[in-house]
Amino acid sequence: MLRVLLVVLALCFAAGAGAEPPVDVAPKAPAKPAAKPAAKKPTAKTAVRPTWAELTAEQQQILAPLKGDWENLERERRLKWVGIAKRYPAMKPEEQARVQRRMQAWAKLTPEQRRQARENYKNIAKVPPEKRGDLRQQWADYQSLPPQEREEMVRQEKKRR
Amino acid sequence: MNEMHFGNRIRQALNQGLRLNAKQAERLHAARERALARQRPEPVGALAWADNVLGSFGGWGGLSLRLVAPLAALVISVGVLYTWQQNRVIADFAEIDSMLLTDDLPIDAYLDRGFQNWLKTRAAEQ
Repeated sequence: MLRVLLVVLALCFAAGAGAEPPVDVAPKAPAKPAAKPAAKKPTAKTAVRPTWAELTAEQQQILAPLKGDWENLERERRLKWVGIAKRYPAMKPEEQARVQRRMQAWAKLTPEQRRQARENYKNIAKVPPEKRGDLRQQWADYQSLPPQEREEMVRQEKKRR
Repeated sequence: MNEMHFGNRIRQALNQGLRLNAKQAERLHAARERALARQRPEPVGALAWADNVLGSFGGWGGLSLRLVAPLAALVISVGVLYTWQQNRVIADFAEIDSMLLTDDLPIDAYLDRGFQNWLKTRAAEQ
């Protein structure tokens, strides 16, 4: 009996580890925007927690830019934002300012866009800093390129996929 | 009439000798087969082990304990594991999103396919 229990537990663990993350589940097929607008909009009946009122005063203050959207966020995303709010006090002042500025735009992206941004972030983070160079400078350089050159870069990238 | 008394009566009757016709013998045989089929088999393997452990808690009468307790343990374990797994995934997302939100580069840079390609091309040139 004990052995059976252990096997079942191991299987559950394996299944859990392989399962898709509940936060921003990435669609396998290319994203079809506006295919299902707000399919899982929580209703008043099934109150998703934590509600805005359940946040601490400090969390409410940090997450203030999200207040208007809070009721449309799924449980996992709310918990993720609470997690970010917990990290917030340890951030440098300029980082805190960036979080405040970017929060709303980040929450408004599609799940596919967020997934793409995270993937690109991880890819860049993999490159050793000495090879990476000054990314801000490179971003500025890239933006100063003529539009047709930038379009060419996008075209090449699309072809590669 | 209790069971022992009944058994004694049967024994006496049997000692006096039986004259059964074929039909009676057949019915008796069928009854015996049924009784044997109903006899509980000996517990084997893991069940015997569980029987030894839990037998002291009420033997076969403790069926609910033998069945319900491991099942409850399983359900609770799966629940705990699922919650733990979910929390871990959420914590991972909180971490990477914090990094993205505080990063030197604006989020647009991470969404710009052209820029990502341009970085790769530059890295390859160096």
